[in-house]
Amino acid sequence: MYNNRHKRGIQSNKEQFDIIDLDEEDVHKLKENLPSEIRSLDEMKAKDVQTLAEVGMLMDESNRSGTYLCYGQYGFVTAQFIEGLECIPIAEALERYLWLKEKYWFKAIRKNEDKIVETISNSIPRGFFIRVRKGYKIKKPFQAALYMTRSTRVHGLHNIIILEEDSELTLLTGCTRAHDAKKGLHLAISEIYIGKNAKLVSTMIHNWGPNFDIEPRTCTIVEEGGIFINTYCSTNPPRTVQMYPFTHLQGDNSSAKYASIILGTPNTYCDIGGTILMEGTNSGAEICARAVCKGGNIVQTGLIIGKGENCRAHVDCAGLMMSNEGMIEATPALRALNPNARMSHEASIGRIAPGELVYLMSKGFTEEKALSTIIRGFIDPGIEGISPELDAALTEVAEISGHGEEWDVIPIRNR
Amino acid sequence: MGEIMLDIRNLNVSVEGKEILRNVNITLRDGEVHALFGPNGSGKTTLIMTIIGYPQFEVTKGEIIFEGENLLELEIDERARLGIGVAQQRPPTIKGVKLRNIIDFYLRNNPEKVDYISKQIEKFEMQDFIDREVNANLSGGEIKRSEIFQMVLSSPKFFILDEPDSGIDPEFLGKIGAMLTEILRSEKKQDQIITRSSGLIITHTGDILNYFNADLAHLMMNGTIGCTGNPQEMLEQIQQHGYEYCIKCNRRKKGVCD
Repeated sequence: MYNNRHKRGIQSNKEQFDIIDLDEEDVHKLKENLPSEIRSLDEMKAKDVQTLAEVGMLMDESNRSGTYLCYGQYGFVTAQFIEGLECIPIAEALERYLWLKEKYWFKAIRKNEDKIVETISNSIPRGFFIRVRKGYKIKKPFQAALYMTRSTRVHGLHNIIILEEDSELTLLTGCTRAHDAKKGLHLAISEIYIGKNAKLVSTMIHNWGPNFDIEPRTCTIVEEGGIFINTYCSTNPPRTVQMYPFTHLQGDNSSAKYASIILGTPNTYCDIGGTILMEGTNSGAEICARAVCKGGNIVQTGLIIGKGENCRAHVDCAGLMMSNEGMIEATPALRALNPNARMSHEASIGRIAPGELVYLMSKGFTEEKALSTIIRGFIDPGIEGISPELDAALTEVAEISGHGEEWDVIPIRNR
Repeated sequence: MGEIMLDIRNLNVSVEGKEILRNVNITLRDGEVHALFGPNGSGKTTLIMTIIGYPQFEVTKGEIIFEGENLLELEIDERARLGIGVAQQRPPTIKGVKLRNIIDFYLRNNPEKVDYISKQIEKFEMQDFIDREVNANLSGGEIKRSEIFQMVLSSPKFFILDEPDSGIDPEFLGKIGAMLTEILRSEKKQDQIITRSSGLIITHTGDILNYFNADLAHLMMNGTIGCTGNPQEMLEQIQQHGYEYCIKCNRRKKGVCD
């Protein structure tokens, strides 16, 4: 079950942000059935399409197995027929499959886990249901996007992803806002079930900006031999984001890897962590957190609990300070409940070494290009077969980080 | 005799307020390669780092003119783009930055060089290093190979090699020397003008000169150029009698070396 007890003891100045101040009117909106702002995805404006493309959501589906787009409060599914893959709005799935409520709906996350989960649980079900049937390996990625429009103000989603035995899925999730949306609160629950020897590669790209508050709650249960690779990249941080995905490696020989890449900017608060519970024998886990701080506060936490026999794990949190303002707090943590657990952690925070910068410049790199190259290297999550969407997002983080008037820490001038 | 390519005049350089180089003068003409000899701590690396433009080396007096431009007015990257390429002795490791990133950088700026770059990857046997972090977990010889390879990719007008012969085996040094001769010293026709790269090589042992010809040598002692002359003759003097003797030698007194 989702739990955030490990947050105890983290010192941060989050209190300065009045974040989970759920407006009564907004909460009420989540309980209403609102009409869709557009009738079909074709009605989206060019600016919407472009904004969505920046988080990996493409209208051209030639390299996609399907699409779910939550435009404002309304969900559209444009899944092509692909044998073994099913995606429908969650409300429809709950009606169609009675077993969904019995076996999966609020079974990984408790309804009363916290105020966020409780709010969503009392709302009209919005979100998607994805199921990959036993033995099917879906080659092209499925894309899901959550798009906050100007009139949305609050999102409350509940997604369920089920990968049956021996199945595989690559999921690209992009969350962003319309260019004219000024303010919003994004609440989401995701319950993910990875069956025996199944594999889910999930990449989430966020592009928000000031005045947005983001509160996702995710829990994943992995059965025997299952693999879960979860990458989160934030190219434009919201005012606040708080997430602690929880993964339960229930089955023997199951494994999980979390990678998070965060760019902090002034007046933002990113509290990104994750907990992996290794219960299965020979289960393995890795958490790789990277933060680049140009201002604002970033808290990286990673906890791995070793319970199963011969489980192994590594937590690595690293931060790069690019400004005299801001804060990075890195807290990698291990908890062993088994004498045969092999676990390690490391954490480092620093700035770019001037020697690295001038080395690249001596090869003709401009200062800006050298900085972005070094940052791109620093934030590389070390995942094999990185998707073009993630690659583009990481490059964007590196370029934004390496650019700007704030960077005057290194005396390059030789005059 | 070619045009003057690099002209170092009355150069004084300090690091953290301490004077390391004083009154250094070197004139290098187009197409010439000079060797720079000198004991440890004499200021050789300081001189080349100053030419390249490392910010911690502060020029307190004098000037460095490269093809008519005052290098001291230029940033380190601007100097590189003028055609100054360097193979460093102790390059840093940069987490996550792979050799591929550097190759891509050269390719993006010079897409027409794709064949040339592929050829150099083969020649320097760099295939296995491309997707590894640049300079990470390499032996001394591998670092030299990687640095010279990267320098060659930039097709420099003026190259600087910092002790290419220290810490590598003679067989490999022979290979490197032959490749450098082929790439940097062969006469190339560019729009009917025949060009050769020019350069400066720092060497302790002079071993690289067995495979790569230098036109002139300078001996640096205590932060200044003590002697300039024929590379082989100077090397013999140094090997037989040491650096001090070389500076005081009779030939220099007679003006033979100069």
